[in-house]
Amino acid sequence: MSHARRPHLSRRRFLADCGVGIGRIGALSLLAQSAIGGSPRPQGPHFAPRAKAVIHLFMGGAPSQLELFDNKPTLTRFEGKPLPASILGDQRYAFIRPDAAVLGPQFAFARHGQCGAELGAPLRHLAQVADELCIVRSMHTDQFNHAPAQLLLNSGFAQPGRPSMGSWAVYGLGAESKELPAFVVMSTGNGLSAGSALWSSGFLPPAHTGVRLRNGKDPILDLSTPERFAGAMQDDTFALLAQLDGRRAEALGDPAIAARIRSFEMAARLQTSAPELLDLAGEGQATLNLYGCDPGEPSFARACLLARRLVERGVRFVDVFHEGWDAHSDVKGNVSEKCEQTDRACAALVLDLKRRGMLDDTLVVWGGEFGRTPMVETNPSLGRSLGRDHHPQAFTTWMAGGGARRGHSHGATDDFGFHVVEDPVHVHDLQATILHLLGFDHERLTFRHAGRDYRLTDLSGRVVRQLLA
Amino acid sequence: MNALVPPGLAAASAAVLAAVLAGGDARAQAPSYSLEVRPILAEKCFACHGPDADSRKKDLRLDVPGHDRDDELLRRITSDDPEQRMPPPHTGKTLSTAQVEVLRRWIAAGKPYERHWSFVRPQRPALPDTGEALDNPIDRFVRAKLAEHGLTPSPEADRVTLARRLYLDLLGLPPTPEQADRFVQDTAPDAYARLVDELLASPHYGERQARRWLDLARYADTNGYEKDRPRSIWPYRDWVVNALDADMPYDAFVVRQLAGDMLPDATDDDRIATGFHRNTMLNEEGGIDPLEFRFHAMTDRVATTGAVFLGLTLGCAQCHTHKFDPITHRDYYGLMAYLDDADEPDFAVPDAAAEQRERECRRQAQQRLDSLWRQWPATAGARDERFAAWRDDNRRKVVDWQPARVQAASSEQLTLEVLGDARDTVRASGDTTKHDVYTLHLAPSPGPITALRLEALPDPTLPSGGPGLTYYEGRHGDFFLSELRVCSGDSEAVAIARATESYADNQYGSQPARAAEAIDGDLQTGWSTHGRNGERHVAVFAFAAPIAAGAALALELHFGRHFASSLGRFRLSVTDAAGGADALALPFDDDGGQEQLLRREENELDEAQRALLRRAFVLQTDGLGDEPAEIRRLWRRDEHASTLVLRERPAGRGRVTRRHHRGEFLQPREEVEPHLPAALDATVAPRDRLELARWLVSPDNPLAGRVLVNRHWAMFFGRGLVSTPGDFGAQGAPPSHPALLDWLAVEFMTSGQSLKQLHRLIVTSRTYRQSSRVRPQDLARDPDNVWLARAPRLRLDGEVLRDAALVAAGKLCERRGGPPVRPPQPAGVTEVAIGKPKWSADDGDARFRRSLYTFQKRTAPFAFYATFDAPSGESCVVQRQVSDTPLQALALLNDPMLVELYEAFGGELATRAERHGVDATLTHAFRRVCTRTPDGDELAALRDFLHRQRERSDAATAWSALARALTCLDEATTRP
Repeated sequence: MSHARRPHLSRRRFLADCGVGIGRIGALSLLAQSAIGGSPRPQGPHFAPRAKAVIHLFMGGAPSQLELFDNKPTLTRFEGKPLPASILGDQRYAFIRPDAAVLGPQFAFARHGQCGAELGAPLRHLAQVADELCIVRSMHTDQFNHAPAQLLLNSGFAQPGRPSMGSWAVYGLGAESKELPAFVVMSTGNGLSAGSALWSSGFLPPAHTGVRLRNGKDPILDLSTPERFAGAMQDDTFALLAQLDGRRAEALGDPAIAARIRSFEMAARLQTSAPELLDLAGEGQATLNLYGCDPGEPSFARACLLARRLVERGVRFVDVFHEGWDAHSDVKGNVSEKCEQTDRACAALVLDLKRRGMLDDTLVVWGGEFGRTPMVETNPSLGRSLGRDHHPQAFTTWMAGGGARRGHSHGATDDFGFHVVEDPVHVHDLQATILHLLGFDHERLTFRHAGRDYRLTDLSGRVVRQLLA
Repeated sequence: MNALVPPGLAAASAAVLAAVLAGGDARAQAPSYSLEVRPILAEKCFACHGPDADSRKKDLRLDVPGHDRDDELLRRITSDDPEQRMPPPHTGKTLSTAQVEVLRRWIAAGKPYERHWSFVRPQRPALPDTGEALDNPIDRFVRAKLAEHGLTPSPEADRVTLARRLYLDLLGLPPTPEQADRFVQDTAPDAYARLVDELLASPHYGERQARRWLDLARYADTNGYEKDRPRSIWPYRDWVVNALDADMPYDAFVVRQLAGDMLPDATDDDRIATGFHRNTMLNEEGGIDPLEFRFHAMTDRVATTGAVFLGLTLGCAQCHTHKFDPITHRDYYGLMAYLDDADEPDFAVPDAAAEQRERECRRQAQQRLDSLWRQWPATAGARDERFAAWRDDNRRKVVDWQPARVQAASSEQLTLEVLGDARDTVRASGDTTKHDVYTLHLAPSPGPITALRLEALPDPTLPSGGPGLTYYEGRHGDFFLSELRVCSGDSEAVAIARATESYADNQYGSQPARAAEAIDGDLQTGWSTHGRNGERHVAVFAFAAPIAAGAALALELHFGRHFASSLGRFRLSVTDAAGGADALALPFDDDGGQEQLLRREENELDEAQRALLRRAFVLQTDGLGDEPAEIRRLWRRDEHASTLVLRERPAGRGRVTRRHHRGEFLQPREEVEPHLPAALDATVAPRDRLELARWLVSPDNPLAGRVLVNRHWAMFFGRGLVSTPGDFGAQGAPPSHPALLDWLAVEFMTSGQSLKQLHRLIVTSRTYRQSSRVRPQDLARDPDNVWLARAPRLRLDGEVLRDAALVAAGKLCERRGGPPVRPPQPAGVTEVAIGKPKWSADDGDARFRRSLYTFQKRTAPFAFYATFDAPSGESCVVQRQVSDTPLQALALLNDPMLVELYEAFGGELATRAERHGVDATLTHAFRRVCTRTPDGDELAALRDFLHRQRERSDAATAWSALARALTCLDEATTRP
């Protein structure tokens, strides 16, 4: 029996099964549990998971793989000339014409670590953890515009309305934390092309929607009690609600009231646990320095540190969105600026997780929605020069920890970085692999909706075994 | 499924039910194909042995009669050998012993097939005899089922509960204590019926019912996708409210929304109604292929049409033949073909007041020009000199232009229509792309040609009045002429010596966008008149050498940048003036008729003509600061409300609809004619969108009535008689009360299709009026309340929660309709979307208007509603999910929108308590929120709470805290 046909099942699904304080309500909720029968419990993994949690660092706007990961000296040699027609095919572009000239890499590349991973100069911090990385240079997607491509990467489908990766993970795994939501979302860059659809639960129970940890003073929407009502007044309010709702539950016998009482209890706990989460006083200066994090300032670095703290507290899936990589002009300046904002923290996150022994069962995934063209984007009437357009054929993603293969570089593109020529990994393959590391067969983690069984990987996807440790 | 008897077994069409009741031992009989066998086959077998030929294994179909190796079938489903067993173990599907038994009996009976129940037209079933005097047929059907399951109905709810239930269900607003009292104290036998009539006639009825319809219509006030910019389609929302208030028959309601533009003598309202299928999203992201996203909008239209009017998951057939229902891949595109022939213009809602305001603005513009002329900054003499110099300069540019006769005009996707007016105006319509090329062949010129003039003309039917076709990403109504090429005769390119324009501006950067950029050989640069929509602009191309008389010119005009930006209306003319010519256009001169005035001397002009030239001069002179720009704005001010509509293309100009392999935009295959899926067994063949709309709401559509009444049933009972209201196909749930469903469907379809009558029928039933108290024995036997031994308690929608809080606080603003408004919401909600747009809450009573009118932003929906499961408007939602989360608790406690109301409410209560005393005020406050009177213990708890807060704070704060706590009660958030 699917959830879709019994929407009220989801009433019980926010922070999983949590203790209930009041005796008679407890009894009633036990009744409710047994009445539900089919159990609100998560699907549970299909096999032993390698990762307990995922931290997804999503670089919205699409970073240039040709500046950071995919070294193509040939582009320098061809600079100023159009690409050979044999390479180009009949690809459509957003802004440039296909006969645009080639632009060489804007930074030097060097090999790092024992594995000899080749990285662009702006990734000087990531280079320090090269041996932890599993770099996939052969990613490709079907979409060449931001919103659809971001949706495809985050929900497996290019139109809004499908559950996001985090929602699927939580639907499958359930929650571990009783204090915090299982799926948390942060956004530290520009506004996001695909907006809140990127962490929507789609047709899964709404409780699987990602909960935004916001940058402002209220880290969770409506978390703080207005000062006027705070303190003892708030405690009295919770007590009054429990008392009156409890009486009502008894009088009416409706298990839904017990669920509502629990929601208020969990809200009260969130009011304590969220500020505790955000209080970085105990982190120590060394850790703050490692991330490059000013504890008082919202930033990508702070989000990475919070991501670690969230996972420490049992959160299953953390999205950190950092939009702003859309380098239609001045790709060199864009990559420098964005790496300045993110590189140190990305490396710190991997290192910090490792030092704490958390990397083994925490999967970190970094990447954007597509790549950028080997050709230059220059358009005087738009005031653009030395940029790169959207490129769905090839881009780079990396993973670390959580059962991903260490010190590995996977796949290759042609001499122009245009097409994948070796071991292509489609977006759905990446998703299948992530689910695999979480203990799921992506073809069996399904939900019946609108007449069919849906899954994260839509109709395709295969686990890329070579990416597994 | 926890019911003692699964609905699948219990559900039966009237005929099957009769057969079952008449028969003896069920085990000896053939099982019902529809109700027992098919659900098993659909779940376990059809994916590989069903309608879809592409995924079919071993060429075996089990969804239709024909397979004759029954022994083999039985052997395979009972085999212990994993290699042999069906379904194969790797699919994860297994048949239970009971299921195998059903199939065994079915095979033994010769495998009788029936059509899927929902595809058979409903007949009005006889009313069950329940041995009770029950006036309302609904109760007869429900009681019969209850008896069948050994359940008994609950007693009628108390009158306060009934009042609250009715108000919330019909109006989406709670009753005030006075309204509730009036009903409670009305002891006449028809008091309930009169209350129902009163509420059905309330102007708030349409506002509540519209919200449900707008979920289906995927209504929102922004375009969706990346940019998610605002759109104006609220006149459609208001049309829905008004139609529901007027109880427009459902068939008329639907026909207008799907095809109002095609009705004979279509009214403005009929056109506005076609906004239903304009609620699709529009991707304005830079560089998209507009036709690709039009295709996505079309697939949304097909899926929505299927869900709303057929209760079928047609979306499945976008990519391949439906795996479970008899809808082929071609059928899907056959339905798309009906919807594919419309253009999608904006529609300025005709409005005499708006026209009057526009006339007034223009009058003011003229007055300001005239007064600027009179109050010229320098002396009158200096002004007159400047004017004369201006006139002389422009006079030189006035040459004799001859219309260029356009013999042939073509573009790849667009239709270029040469209008039959005197000067061969060309108008473009249809699907514009990022790079359109217009090819024009001019008639041989009688005289030599030294220059060519291109006039870009405004037109009220173009976006923002034209002259361009840009409708996304760039400024609406812009164009971008990236290149003009002129050939004489067959091939010889004609050299252009110079290009001039009356006006040029680039939307991006500081690069020029002059006519000269349209002859520089670079497709990235071009001529644009950004910023002056709705005006006539002119570019003149002077040839390096005169072209001899008799030459036939061929022109190639390239349009486009990273978005579609072709020219919507233009005309061409030529001159033989010596040395060519330069561009000239007087402001506000929409057809160039005023230029000849420049040739006349002062004394040859009358006063009106003189004024025209003076105004043009004033507008074009420097040194007047922002005045000219202000005056232009005033002149072009569009006061009309605008909305999005469909406009059917003329016959013969429709689109060719193709099947798309795998449902992909880039894989069009053979052409598909409009047709209905054969499985629907229609007795007529609709030919166009209008006929399709009429068929969808006709009794010939077996699903029309069932799907509609089921959706409305779910509004009152929380779950449909078919619990999958968007899927009446093989994978959907069978009806719990099939005879009731059919009775309601037939009744609805044959008695005027009145939604108010349907609602009246439902809410006057005893079934609806039952108490919602959950008796322990019912919870154990029927936890999902499928058999309706009680009324359900339903959590209120987010919008209703807010409206109820507005009513309780006495702040609700009852003004109807109009552009959307912005109530307060927490900071940072909308900033997550692209461009980090700010949300500035409205001032005054606009912040207290009904939630229906809240601005709906697709990529960052209004936080409070979203927290309570409201849809984003990105796709059709047939039934909202209902969740219960701590975030909802936080929103009720702390959302600034509510806190503002708690404070207003608390302030009022504090004052009231001084007059009426604490207890009376506590009771009153409780009733404002929960309707009923609190009992003694509850009152004591409230009193205690208040006193404790009073010790800590002032009276207003204490009472506000009380209002806040009351609003957070489960009871406050529930329809009882």
